[in-house]
Amino acid sequence: MMYTSDIVIGLEIHVQLKTNTKLFCACPTEATEPNTAICPTCLGHPGSKPVLNAKALEYGTKLALSLGCKISPTVIFSRKTYFYPDLVKNYQITQYEVPLGNNGQIILEDKKVVRIERVHIEEDPGALIHEAGGCLVDYNRSGIPLCEIVTAPDLTSPAEAREFMKKLLNVLGYLGIFDQNTCIIKADANISIKEKKYTRVEVKNITGFKEIERALNYEVQRQKQQEVKRETRGWDADKGITYSMRTKEEEEDYGYIVETDLPIFEISQEWIRKVQQTIPELAEQRAVRWTKEWKIDEDDARIIATDLDVAVLFEEISRKVDPVFTARWVRREVLRLLNDKKKELRETEFRKEELTELFKLLTEKKITDRIGQRIIEQLADKKFSPAAYVKEQKLEMVAGEDILRKACEKAIAENPKAVEDYKKGEEKAIMFIIGQVMKVTKGTASPTVVKELLKGLLK
Amino acid sequence: MIKKFVADAKAGKIDLVEHAQKALEEAEKINEEYHYLTAYADVIERAKELQEQVKNGTAKGRLFGVLISVKDSICVKNVETTASSAILKGYKPLYNATVIKKCLDEGAIILGKTVIDEFGFGGFSTNVGIGYQKPLNPLDKKRATGGSSGGAAGLTRKATFPHIAFGESTGGSIVNPASFCGVVGLCPTYGRVSRYGLIDYGNSLDKIGTMGQTVDDAALLLEIISGKDEKDSTSADVPVPSLDTPGAVSGIRIGIVKEAFGEGIDNNVRKKVLDAVYQLEKKGARKIEISLPISMNYGVPTYFTLAPAEASTNLAKYCGMRYGANEPLTGTYNEYFSRVRNNNFGEEAKRRLLLGTFARLAGYRDAFYNKAAKVRTKIIHEYKHAFEQVDVLITPTVAITAPTFEEIKKLTPLQNFMIDLLTVSPNLAGLPHITIPCGEANGMPVGMMIIGPHFAEQKIIQVAKAYDVHQ
Repeated sequence: MMYTSDIVIGLEIHVQLKTNTKLFCACPTEATEPNTAICPTCLGHPGSKPVLNAKALEYGTKLALSLGCKISPTVIFSRKTYFYPDLVKNYQITQYEVPLGNNGQIILEDKKVVRIERVHIEEDPGALIHEAGGCLVDYNRSGIPLCEIVTAPDLTSPAEAREFMKKLLNVLGYLGIFDQNTCIIKADANISIKEKKYTRVEVKNITGFKEIERALNYEVQRQKQQEVKRETRGWDADKGITYSMRTKEEEEDYGYIVETDLPIFEISQEWIRKVQQTIPELAEQRAVRWTKEWKIDEDDARIIATDLDVAVLFEEISRKVDPVFTARWVRREVLRLLNDKKKELRETEFRKEELTELFKLLTEKKITDRIGQRIIEQLADKKFSPAAYVKEQKLEMVAGEDILRKACEKAIAENPKAVEDYKKGEEKAIMFIIGQVMKVTKGTASPTVVKELLKGLLK
Repeated sequence: MIKKFVADAKAGKIDLVEHAQKALEEAEKINEEYHYLTAYADVIERAKELQEQVKNGTAKGRLFGVLISVKDSICVKNVETTASSAILKGYKPLYNATVIKKCLDEGAIILGKTVIDEFGFGGFSTNVGIGYQKPLNPLDKKRATGGSSGGAAGLTRKATFPHIAFGESTGGSIVNPASFCGVVGLCPTYGRVSRYGLIDYGNSLDKIGTMGQTVDDAALLLEIISGKDEKDSTSADVPVPSLDTPGAVSGIRIGIVKEAFGEGIDNNVRKKVLDAVYQLEKKGARKIEISLPISMNYGVPTYFTLAPAEASTNLAKYCGMRYGANEPLTGTYNEYFSRVRNNNFGEEAKRRLLLGTFARLAGYRDAFYNKAAKVRTKIIHEYKHAFEQVDVLITPTVAITAPTFEEIKKLTPLQNFMIDLLTVSPNLAGLPHITIPCGEANGMPVGMMIIGPHFAEQKIIQVAKAYDVHQ
């Protein structure tokens, strides 16, 4: 293969699927105490046999379809043999010759296509816990379903790799097959640079999408400065460095053979259609639709669509309130608050009913933006009717021009210095006077209206 | 024999505790001399439990009070199960294999575990693991029992108490020893019986089957353990017909496999089997000659590529980490597990692990493992085609009668493999087969093997029962 870019990156990403039970046994996927969610099968005891968790197959298919993959009509598992203390059978049940899905893609912001070569399912090994004076193994993780996503070497920078991971996480979140709080996403990256004639190095064990950029940035710099040989390196997140694990000559031969404890599963077109129907409209499609149909700002649309819950909330409010207005408020206020509070939408008290009521008050000019902001902040933490609250607290926008005009005249009279500055051409001075009016009216006046009034009075 | 015993036991005509005590003593005595058993279950405790049921009028089950011995590769809860390998020394399973659960539900008493070639790796039961004694032929102690279910066959022949044995076949390990010891060995279609709880040798080949002194006994136990099991995804959802069926051979087309009566087959063995076929012809069967060139020429190499390849992954789990043999924790993990495996696997196990690993490595997989898988498909098709012309196939079970240990010592590994010549192909094709004694040659028993199409266990049992052993 001929490369032209300075950096060439391909990713192998492992995602834990959010099923209730493990891939090949009935043990729960969540456990608190080490080595409690275990059984003869996930401990590899003699005579135990794997039984496929159909939910994991469904989730894997969902992901593969969402990435535009073609689904294999047969699902075949293989044994990948290597000796490691966390691997109970010293082979991993995975898919080798025929993956569940192939030929998919993810499109980046700049329309760049990153090809997905394969999507397959496999079992997670146990977890090694290194402690002073020894190493412990927790087999609770042994047998948790993983989905592996392998890209073509289409990425050309660490930042692109990060964007790719983020896009993938977004799809995972939409599908409801991955829990960001409890499930682990890990990547192995193949990376090479033009300067070193694209000598390929594999960097293993990069956890999370933020780490990927960090690890690859480090590795690019290292390759620029050191001699590069074909090898496998590990990523040490604590030290922020990659280290050599083994060279090409020491590469393991996994001796793949078919897993004959499991039959060949036939996948029907009808079943694929059924799975397809459970896939919600994905973020990108939603954003495009909103921009087209509702004339939503592209940026707003893209950002709101990122989170499925927020996207659904936005769509529901938009049926009753102007979508453009709703988009602006969801992005600038709802998302800002979620970000400040570091919370998911479902962890707050935000509901479509109260927000719709609030947005109506705003679009009908019953309250000012400032009051709206104050109320929305409180809606994050408790449920109440914005309309009733406005009434009770007398927060309606001051409508009578007489009252406002009087307040303005009063402010002009009380602030001769600011008036003088304004008249000398200092545009900013008027902001001070507006502030004084707002103070007196306790925010119930529209700053825009006040400004117009003041301008008229000061002519 | 078993049926009458079960009826008497349920009716309270037999003191089960006393019976079990006697049987246990007899088994122990046989074992001292012939080395058939590696571990005993709590026979007396179980007998008391059953006796209690008789008293309460709750006695039930088609195996009520019958002693069942279990090949050492089948898991029995809390009874040491090692596949006769030092690497599993002391291992007591946490659960019962499905076949064990099924026969306990029918009122059986588990006697204990019978010795095998380590993990099933052999045709003589001379490849028992380090620290195990090889079983001796019940008819001549200088000779082998056959293998790998050697302990099961020897005990079945020797026991005078009502007893049925569990065997297991990967490439012929039920019918081969049954033939050498002069008992009935019955191996079902692949998938007919759940493998849950069977210590794997070659997962695509392993089948749990039965042995008895009569066809009826072996058939009874097989019927009980047959059927779909949610815990084994490869078990077949095919209805299980009654295997308690009278002999019937009239109008049956018997295929005589030409290659199985030719070169390399002991003359006396050939003659005995052909005599037996003649007897079936007299009862109305029609003889048709069938040629199976692929199966007979390529069965052995195909089997000895695929089975070790699967075995080499199956045995990877034995590394001294979680159960079985272990060693002082020194050195790296690689050094540690290599030491455990080196010290505890026997010579034949090591040979097959090396062969099997080689056959599946990146540079060799296409030439060996993948090619063998293709030949296997051809063998399956060859049998399918044969069964369009005949109802069952008949061959000698093994080309020779039980050899002496001296003779076995002189065999090269390849000659050793050839002992499986006639049995590997039906096993590769997953076909049900049964061996019944059909006289003696060279002073030792000869077995006739009847092979049927997939799931035609009933058919091969009918033909087997049509043959009169006491003619």
